[in-house]
Amino acid sequence: MLWSKTRKALRARGVMGINQRNGDYILRYNKRSLYPLVDDKLKTKKMAIEAGIRVPELYGSIRTEQGISTLRKVVDTHRDFVIKPAQGAGGDGIMVIADRFEHYFRSASGRIITQDELEHHISGILSGIYSLGGHRDEALIEYRVRSTELFNRISYEGVPDIRIIVLKGYPVAAMLRLPTRQSQGKANLHQGAIGVGLDLSTGVTLGGTWHNQRIERHPDTANAVAGLTVPDWEDCLALAARCYDLTGLGYLGVDLVMDRDHGPMMLELNARPGLNIQIAMDDGLLRRCSIVEKRLEALKGEDRPAAERVEFSKQQFAVAGVVPVAAEQQP
Amino acid sequence: MGSVKFQARLLALVLLLLGVGSILYQVVVQHVPLSQDEKDPVWVIDAQVGFSAKPNKPVKVRMFVPPLGSGFTTLNESFISNNYGVNVNEEKGNRQVTWSSRRAEGRQFLYYRLMLTHRYAPTREVEPGPQFRQAPNLEGPERLAAEALLEPIRQHSADVETFISETIKRVNELENDNAQLLLGSDVSALNRARVVDLLLGLSHIPVEPVHTLRLMESQEQEPELWLRSYNGREWLYYNPVNGQQGLPDDRLVWWRGWEPLMKVDGGKSADMVFSVHRNEMSALQLAQTLRLKDASSFIDFSLYELPLPAQQLYRTLIMIPIGVILVLLMRSLVGMETLGTFTPVLIALAFRETQVIYGVMLFIFITALGLSLRSYLEHLKLQLLPRLSVVLTFVVIVMALMSLLGYKLGIGSGLSVGLFPMVVLTMVIERTSIVWEERGGSQSLKVGLSTLFVAVLSHLLMVWQPLTYFVFTFPGVLLCVASFMVMMGHYRGYRLTELVRFRAMVDGDKH
Repeated sequence: MLWSKTRKALRARGVMGINQRNGDYILRYNKRSLYPLVDDKLKTKKMAIEAGIRVPELYGSIRTEQGISTLRKVVDTHRDFVIKPAQGAGGDGIMVIADRFEHYFRSASGRIITQDELEHHISGILSGIYSLGGHRDEALIEYRVRSTELFNRISYEGVPDIRIIVLKGYPVAAMLRLPTRQSQGKANLHQGAIGVGLDLSTGVTLGGTWHNQRIERHPDTANAVAGLTVPDWEDCLALAARCYDLTGLGYLGVDLVMDRDHGPMMLELNARPGLNIQIAMDDGLLRRCSIVEKRLEALKGEDRPAAERVEFSKQQFAVAGVVPVAAEQQP
Repeated sequence: MGSVKFQARLLALVLLLLGVGSILYQVVVQHVPLSQDEKDPVWVIDAQVGFSAKPNKPVKVRMFVPPLGSGFTTLNESFISNNYGVNVNEEKGNRQVTWSSRRAEGRQFLYYRLMLTHRYAPTREVEPGPQFRQAPNLEGPERLAAEALLEPIRQHSADVETFISETIKRVNELENDNAQLLLGSDVSALNRARVVDLLLGLSHIPVEPVHTLRLMESQEQEPELWLRSYNGREWLYYNPVNGQQGLPDDRLVWWRGWEPLMKVDGGKSADMVFSVHRNEMSALQLAQTLRLKDASSFIDFSLYELPLPAQQLYRTLIMIPIGVILVLLMRSLVGMETLGTFTPVLIALAFRETQVIYGVMLFIFITALGLSLRSYLEHLKLQLLPRLSVVLTFVVIVMALMSLLGYKLGIGSGLSVGLFPMVVLTMVIERTSIVWEERGGSQSLKVGLSTLFVAVLSHLLMVWQPLTYFVFTFPGVLLCVASFMVMMGHYRGYRLTELVRFRAMVDGDKH
């Protein structure tokens, strides 16, 4: 059978399926009671600040309809900011204001937005259209991350982010998510963003995936996506590894952004990270996770400091033959 | 983790065994019909007694009738007579009916009718019989002839069983002088049986005659004589004419012993005609008939014992797990996305009221209408809750208008939409709008259509007559379903859609 051949080939490559992810990883490593920590971005942010993990600065939050009137005061001192739902998922409901123009605001894509529209959007967030299950939600107003020059070359509008899968504090897989015209500046794969695999030991970009297919170049900028080095890669890994200590979630997707001025920042955490990262890395998650699980078994569940875990991952998940593009090509 | 997996497997196994066991018990022991169309033969035996009454004398007719519950279930038994008293009594394992009348005139007819079936027959304990008897006194030439016959029989037999068959064989060798002497000129089956009995008696082996009726379509039939002997565990049956051993299944024991079938006092030139008819009856109907008669049938302790409205409800409810298992398969094995987990099952239930084709049309039409209204209202910048409320109100109005229009046009009955489909539709619209808000129009269309597809499939499954009958009659099926669900809880394999999704990773290998 054609199917069984594909199935065997996927199994041989250690590709993780949804059933397996749900049953063997999420159900096993992630305690349900810990979910609110990551489902509510405000909670995550507060926790991260306490632990000294860098996050985009919070300008303010709005919880009630009456509170919407305080928006003007919150954003008064900022030319640019981001409004997002605290419990949103998949990048929905995020509005990025890049500039102001007299009484108007301008979105990242250049659209003029009135104060009324902004308030309506916040009201939508509060009523829970973007939250899972339609619960009442909270709107966060925070620092707008500015993309680095390097990333601007390979993304369209928006800010690329870095997704790192962390198993029991060990980074096992990483990818760069590049917004495209189709994803409307959002770094979400199911909306049409590109996923580019990263070599865990060096932070060098590998091939990419777009709509479950493998690609070499960014469809909007036509620049090759492979061979670039993510700056401050060590910091990124350390940040991701520490998020395990922060939340106690054993199977975690850590989303980082690279700010031009402040370096890597933790954007949000995900207790049910997607599986497309496998296509981006062209490697199975199951294969990588079982390496870490063997190590955990050998350690008999003893926790190791984050730095040591990162070292282990870098050593185990290096992709042979990765050569960064020559220095003059990098800005 | 390993032990948990083991526990789950154990639980699944226990559930499966309980389920299969209960189904097997119902099929094998209770003879519950496997399908609704299963038919059973029902035998109708009519016995007609005719005689001429002697003038000015009381009439008393005694006739043997079959004992109840000997491998058959009696559906109905009736004694039909004009101006006769009827009395049934039981003695020595036989049942005898007595018709009596003070006086009667001319040719008289009495009828006895019996309806029988093999199914649901209680298995009766075998009542033991004698294993030893006193040898009868026999003098003169008969004694000599008997001894001469018995000598080779003793030599050719190993035990009681073979002794009896050997005896029957010898007696039926009509050219044998000794046999001829004992039979005299009468070679009827009854007389042969009498001689067999005599010979066996000399060897202290008890036998008794049983008179049987053959269950086959026939207008006239004579009771057939068989002999039987008890070997300590069971009765062994022999045909006294050809020595055949073992009573065929289609023989019904009518009475036993040497007495004649019928005795008529106060009457003359009596005769008797048996006629047998075969009818078909649905096995289920049979069970229900038996229940009314308070006879033992599988209906005891089954859902059929519930009052009818409750039965109707459970016929629907009991199919829900079947729909659920389909959704489970579609999601975990195929990887189809649906609106909410069990929404397809709810829609499928709603289709019961709306009919499936009309239901699908209604579903698509109303949802499309609701969504377009929704997108217009979004343009007005209404808040979520008021927006949804307006949509739902409009849905109700549109449905009412459609019903009204249908009624005016005379399409009437097809357009009657109950409360339940209304609620389900409303919910579907709400969920679709949420998906629309979160994931966009094309995604909500995709999810909506796959929900509809799963709903139609599970509806067809849930109303499939043979399946509903099976699940309702054998609720053990639900335990098997639960067992499968437990097993699915540890399924870690790929979903069908994932094979497509990750194909790029395998294709890469080939280059």
